Order: sequence, then C-alpha cells, then structure tokens
Amino acid sequence: MLAPQHNYTNLSSAVGLGLIGFNEKDIVVDYGCIFFDSFVYASRLCKKVVGVIPSSERRNTLQKRLVEEDVKNCDLVNANYNEQHFNEVFDCVIINCFLEQLLFEIKHDKSNFFDGKIRSKKMDNSLDETGIGFLQTVYKGLRPGGKIYLSYANKLRINILFKLSMLEVMSFVLSYNLRKYLGFVSFIKNIYLLSSYLLSQKGLEKLLKSNGFVDIEKYAVFPEHKCPLKIIPLSRLDECSYEPVQHLYGEGSLRRISAGVKRRVDRIIFNKLKLFGLSPSFIITARKAS
Amino acid sequence: MLCELITNNTHNNNIALYKCYNANKVFYRKAAFSRWGNKVIENEKNGYDWFYKDSEPSINVRLNKKYFYELDIPQFKGKRFPSESIISGNEETIGRIIDFYKGQWSTKDVFAIHGDLALCNFIIDKKNIKLVDWEHFHYSDKEFFGYDIVNMLFILIGHESRRTFRLNKRNMDFLKKCYIQLIEGAGNNNKILEKPFQNAKDYLLKFKDRFLTNVYKKFVLAGSPLSVLEYFDSIVTD
Repeated sequence: MLAPQHNYTNLSSAVGLGLIGFNEKDIVVDYGCIFFDSFVYASRLCKKVVGVIPSSERRNTLQKRLVEEDVKNCDLVNANYNEQHFNEVFDCVIINCFLEQLLFEIKHDKSNFFDGKIRSKKMDNSLDETGIGFLQTVYKGLRPGGKIYLSYANKLRINILFKLSMLEVMSFVLSYNLRKYLGFVSFIKNIYLLSSYLLSQKGLEKLLKSNGFVDIEKYAVFPEHKCPLKIIPLSRLDECSYEPVQHLYGEGSLRRISAGVKRRVDRIIFNKLKLFGLSPSFIITARKAS
Repeated sequence: MLCELITNNTHNNNIALYKCYNANKVFYRKAAFSRWGNKVIENEKNGYDWFYKDSEPSINVRLNKKYFYELDIPQFKGKRFPSESIISGNEETIGRIIDFYKGQWSTKDVFAIHGDLALCNFIIDKKNIKLVDWEHFHYSDKEFFGYDIVNMLFILIGHESRRTFRLNKRNMDFLKKCYIQLIEGAGNNNKILEKPFQNAKDYLLKFKDRFLTNVYKKFVLAGSPLSVLEYFDSIVTD
C-alpha cells in the first residue's frame, strides 16, 4: 500500500513564494491570480489574500478551487491590473507571470505599463527616471518595507519586445508626415528603452529601482516558474552548484535521449559557462523603501 | 534573507529544501507544502532529536509550526559526498561509518532506524561524523540492528555496478569485510544479519508505512529481485 500523500493538497508548485517568508499577520494581494496553488499557499500562511482577477471565467474557476480547499480568508476583485480599489495597505504583492500580464495589457490595447510617462521623459534618455503605471499602482498599495514578488518566463521577453516594437512602429508611421525628424529619433529611443527593459539582464531591475523599489534580488528558475525545482539567487552564483533538473513527463527511449541531451547542454550553459541570462524563467523579489 | 532552492518535492515528499543565507550565517530550511509534508518534517525533527540528544556541542535544529511546518538545520562543516557515490575510493570512509554506526546505535536507550542511510547523507571531518536527512526515521526493535548499513551497502553496490549488480573481486572482498565488521556489534537475536540483503528487503516491505514514502519508488532495495539479494547474501556470509 502506498503512503497516503494523495489525501493532502500538495502546493509544491508555489515553492517560489518560500523566498518571501510570509508572516501570519500579512495581508497579501495577488495580481492576476495566475497560479491557483500560489494563491492557496499564501492564504494558508497569511492573514488575508486579495486576488485581482480580470477574467470572470478564471475567477469562477478559482472560486471553485477555494471552496474545495475551504479557503475563507480571501477576497476576489474583478478588475484590471492597473486599477486600485483597495483601502488596505499590503505587506506583499504577488505577480506571477509578470510579463504575461504585460502581454495581456498590450493585446487589449491597455498599454498602461509603458504609459505617457515614458514619452515625456524619454528625451533625456534616462532609464532611471522612467515611471511605469502598473508598478506605481503596486508601489502605492504596499506598506513601507512591503515586498514584491515577480515571476516570469524568459522566452516571453522576446514576444513582448516584438509586440511593443510593433506598437512603436505603428505610432511612428502614423506620425511620420507630421514630425518626421523628431518622430524618427523618438522611435529609435523607444525601441532602445524597450529592449533595455526586457532583454538586458538588468532591465527589469532598473525598472523596479526607478519605481521606488530597493533590495532587488533576481533568481534563475529551473525548469520553469510554474513549478520550480531549482531556484538560484544570481547574487550568489559562486556558492551555488547547478545540476540540471527536469520534470519527467512519461517514458520512452526518445524522451530519455532528448532529456539526456538537454541535461548535457544545460550543464555546459549553466555549470561551465554560467550563462544564467539564458535561464528558462526568473523570479524577482524587492522591497518598498521604508 | 536570501534563499536558494536546492530540491523540491523529491519522491513526492511535499517538501522543499532551501539553503538560506542570513547575513554571515548559512543554514538549511526544509519547508512543507502540504499537511503530509508537515507530518514528514515533524518526523524528521524527531530523528534529529533522537540522534543528536546529548551531542557535544549541542545541535540546534528548530521546528517552526506555522500552517506549513519549517525545519531549520545548521550547516555542518566537513566533507560531503555525491548522491551517486560508489564503493571504490570510499572504502576507508565506509569502514569509519560502520564503526560509527556500531558505536552510536548501540548506546541509545531506544533503538531507531534512519531509513535512508546513504553516503550522501553524511558530512564527515577528521573528528566528527554528522548525519542528515531524517525524513524516514522511525523507532524500531534492536533485533533490526544493521538494517541501515545493509541498505547503504546495497545503494553503493547499485552505483558501483551501474545497476548491473556485478562487482569486481576487490569490491566483493570489501563487502565481506564490512559484513564481518558489522556483525561484531550485533546481538544473538538479530533478525537482519543472517541473510542481510534479503532480510533488509523484508523489513522494508513489512514496515513500509513507517518510512512515510512510497518505498518502491524511493529505495532500490524494495524492487530488487530475490536472485540478486541471494547472490550478495552468499558473497558476504560465506
């Protein structure tokens, strides 16, 4: 007879939140409620969790899960990410799939992330002073010293850069006849800013700093942020040893061979060359300055 | 505090192992992610308490009973061994571990089983031997003295032979030497050492619920064919 693990909900996929160190008095907000396990995990360890969830469909599915899990210390708010509805001040903000949410905003033409503030300040070419609407909303909702937790997949950075670049191209083409020269300079600078944020190692870190966050820690996540098996703090690479980890899906010789090849390639990329910028996913934690 | 996730949910134990850096202090944290994980962590704490009771200097293993339990374990200094460690090259260490086992296990008031004694769970320096990973700890009867060492030897055989269970003569002679070294510490009513590998497997399967895991998935011994166990029994007891 097997040991009865199946009688208990296993929230192991929320392992990234272990980096936060929740307190039982904490009030937490989860923007997007992308990972239900994370939401339930936070509700177990904190006083209250507020979920901001734009899709009614997802909200219904989450509500069903919460009933099954008997989670009562939570509120679900049907709203967009950039809206601030709360009287509470939060101890922690969880944003899983941060870049996916960015993508969602772009798809729905609600590009509040890179809002007018970029355009007004871009001429001085200073990344440090760039305000981002969504992050400022998050910042205002946090108590001083409160924490932010962001997780995102690496590959999405390219997709989002492409979409944002397309927006810039469109805007450039439309304004071409009016202000030819200035439009072109602005276009180039915008593309530069977007690629700095999304493709460079330090881009998102700068973005957080410019929005008032401190103690920023970046982690490489393997094999994916949806269910991490290994999380390595990039500031401690010298003390960490990377051993490739993979989720094992099914069996078969072809899968075994491809897993073996991937393991060897990963060992070269991460163990020998230390190219952690190529990690499949990242987690960023930071704190609102006290 | 900065943390590194070392492992997550290995063998479906619902537990994550973090290495934590707090200022200049480094420690390990095991955190549960289900109520089952709580049970395993509480069991592990019992194991540490049993083993390190009266140890000098005292070892501070702290259990934090939040909704999901956390166990903070100090970082022990010494040599660590990879999980795929083999016999060749480690003979001296293995001999030292057997002596250590005989000394430690025979002086305790109550007999217990570590459950996953393997070279990778030892941290060894010139003076001290520390033992970690007590997830499968349970109290047992002294008649089962030797189980942990036999399990460790079987794991080493698997790694040495790359799962073929064929060893060279040097390794086989060494196994016999280990057995003789171990049997010197056993009582007359011992239920393991007459046929060490077969009896260890019997123990594992008979008391599988005490190990708090799926023993068939975790322990090679549980799924090993009788012929292999008989073969190694004959090598060490002849």
